[in-house]
Amino acid sequence: MSPTNYLLLSALLFSIGTVGVLVRRNAIVVFMCVELMLNAVNLSLVTFSRINGSLDGQVMAFFVMVVAAAEVVVGLSIIMAIFRTRRTASVDDANLLKY
Amino acid sequence: MGSQSFSDALGVDYGALAPLLIVLGGACVSVLLEAVLPRVRRRSVQLVFSLAVVVVALAAVIIRATSGAGDVVVLAGSLSVDAPGLFLWGTLLALAVPSVLMLADRSVEPGGVFVADPEALAEAQERVGAGSLRSTSSGLPSGTGTDTHGVVGRRGGAGPEPTTPPEMHTEIFPFVLFALGGMLAFSAANDLLTMFVALEVLSLPLYLLCGLARRRRLLSQEAAVKYFLLGAFASAFFLYGVALLYGYAGSVRLADIAASAAGPLRSDALLFAGLALLVVGLMFKASVGPFHTWTPDVYQGAPTPVTAFMAACTKVAAFGAILRVFTVAFGTTALEWRGVLWAVAIASMVIGTVLGITQTDLKRMVAYSSVAHAGFILIGCLAITPAGLSGTLFYLLAYGFTTIAILGLVSLVRSGDGEAGHLSGYAGLAQRSPVVAAALSFCLLALAGVPLTSGFTAKFAVFSAGLADGMAPLVIVGLVCSAIAAFFYLRVIVLMYFSDPAPDGPTVSLPGPMTTVAITLGVAVTLLLGVLPTAALEWAGAGTFLG
Amino acid sequence: MQGSAGLTAYVPLIVMFVLAGGFALFSVTAAPYIGPRRYNRAKLDTYECGIEPSPQPVVGGGRVPVAYYLTAMLFILFDIEMVFLYPFVINIDALGLFGLVEIVLFIGTVAFAYAYVWRRGGLDWT
Repeated sequence: MSPTNYLLLSALLFSIGTVGVLVRRNAIVVFMCVELMLNAVNLSLVTFSRINGSLDGQVMAFFVMVVAAAEVVVGLSIIMAIFRTRRTASVDDANLLKY
Repeated sequence: MGSQSFSDALGVDYGALAPLLIVLGGACVSVLLEAVLPRVRRRSVQLVFSLAVVVVALAAVIIRATSGAGDVVVLAGSLSVDAPGLFLWGTLLALAVPSVLMLADRSVEPGGVFVADPEALAEAQERVGAGSLRSTSSGLPSGTGTDTHGVVGRRGGAGPEPTTPPEMHTEIFPFVLFALGGMLAFSAANDLLTMFVALEVLSLPLYLLCGLARRRRLLSQEAAVKYFLLGAFASAFFLYGVALLYGYAGSVRLADIAASAAGPLRSDALLFAGLALLVVGLMFKASVGPFHTWTPDVYQGAPTPVTAFMAACTKVAAFGAILRVFTVAFGTTALEWRGVLWAVAIASMVIGTVLGITQTDLKRMVAYSSVAHAGFILIGCLAITPAGLSGTLFYLLAYGFTTIAILGLVSLVRSGDGEAGHLSGYAGLAQRSPVVAAALSFCLLALAGVPLTSGFTAKFAVFSAGLADGMAPLVIVGLVCSAIAAFFYLRVIVLMYFSDPAPDGPTVSLPGPMTTVAITLGVAVTLLLGVLPTAALEWAGAGTFLG
Repeated sequence: MQGSAGLTAYVPLIVMFVLAGGFALFSVTAAPYIGPRRYNRAKLDTYECGIEPSPQPVVGGGRVPVAYYLTAMLFILFDIEMVFLYPFVINIDALGLFGLVEIVLFIGTVAFAYAYVWRRGGLDWT
């Protein structure tokens, strides 16, 4: 199968993630959509690695995974903290800061 | 293969890497200090240690810059220590000194911004004389989720003890050092993967710092959530850009991308799609134009010292990376993409100026002004000439110090429970505190770009570089926006000098030594760069990026 | 000869299996002898799958059990560092002493974070 298909799949997943971030209201779900975007990128990195015939892309996918894990921890703790003070994880309820 | 030859092949040049290694190593040691030190000594030790790390790293940068050592690419091409890179490092570390001082200060607000348990502190202050003031901080900062804030009845001392200063979240010091290390790496990154990792290393501590304030906790946490979600979103775009460019060039090194772009063989779709996505991520960090939406909320909600650190240092690091990407990786294709970024620069200047006029909160106003300034700085970045490079570097230095001074002054003007952010609180400030009003006016004039301040020199350098590179329309928009923006800076000054203070208006706190030093430094540098800009301009123009 | 040389390559794998099996057997046999024996009602109860539903948080007053969350997050953080050890092990000969020093530094960095979490009570399950 042509590697291009994986690139299309990756673009599709990235778009789904983007749309999810824009339309979903729960901070956790928004955050999961961001993770989907990162993993879509991983797929294209690995595919490009295969197309280009170099291993760099796979190593980069490792780095992305680690960074994503760190991001999960930081993000969930922030969401947790706001949930404990507000009792809600909806991004629409956080509306104190506005003009 | 021997170990020696391998490390040679990597290009580990400890002399060149010293500032980065010092800051990141210092951050690790700072985490360890946090673990082993007894609670009462943490703050003083951490403060002295962090300042020492920053100052030593700054000294290392200066030694490197004056030693005449050539530009090198180190760590297998992932970092480039060149003349503009050293200037950026010097700027970042110099800005970090007043930032750390402001973060650590406890004189302006009882217990400091990051006091661990404000309710306990308030209670203890009511019982002054009873002695025991010993609030216990809980395990980890609120970010990690184990603390039980506001639990009553965790007072320590059974008998009258000597009054100990209230505790604060000393985790801010390792956070700041890690963020600083990320910024240093970000502005020197010579390949896109390093740039991405550095981007996260600088962002993650900043997200947490935003949410750590315990007074006005809801605002602070809301700022953190917004910053985090949007930041993660933007870095995903950045990363997809990296992936596409890797697909295009078969490498993520900036020089290799430029080399591939020079060859006629490949299709340009991947290149320009990659560049577009990459730019979205970078512009977000630099709070440029239409990617600025997080800026006002986060600047307002975050604790003011964090805002100062973020506004000054993140901007320097982000524009450093933008300059490097534009010059090294995309300099050869500039003619094809520059038009789009003209639109971004214009959007940024117009949005920042127009929305800035309508603001009633000073911190939000500073945020929109930073969006407008990002547009001005972008003009310098788009002129891919030595003059554009040196002008942009100088602008970043000047803007950073002015912003830190302004936010330091903003933290001094307080009404009952916290900072008086609203502009009406500044009415008649000159009668209450002439010194604060004068300093604030001077800094606002610097942002407006009045002669004899650093802002004028910086704007002049950037605009003339833009004009020389054939961007006259952009420069005209920039000048018009500067003129309009001057209106809202002047409005604050008029308010401070020519209105009567409200009877129940805010008070002006007497700053402690640390905030005083930070503000004085900011004002002094703003004045110095305005009167005698030659030395700094020469250093900024000392060299070009090394691919 | 060819066949036996091909099989020799699998000897380390077999040794690994034997070691793993031996460790499992040893753990299971040794546990009753060296482990503490404490019986309580839950332990002697009939096993049923699924957990008992915890009390639902009353609006605004309930508590979110964060202990599990924190432990899970810490696990992910320390676990993901393995990603870098794997390529290192593959290339250990090429990387030599320099690589070893680097990886020790890397593990040391993680250990600093671990020390912080441990000393500040992040590992206490309460």
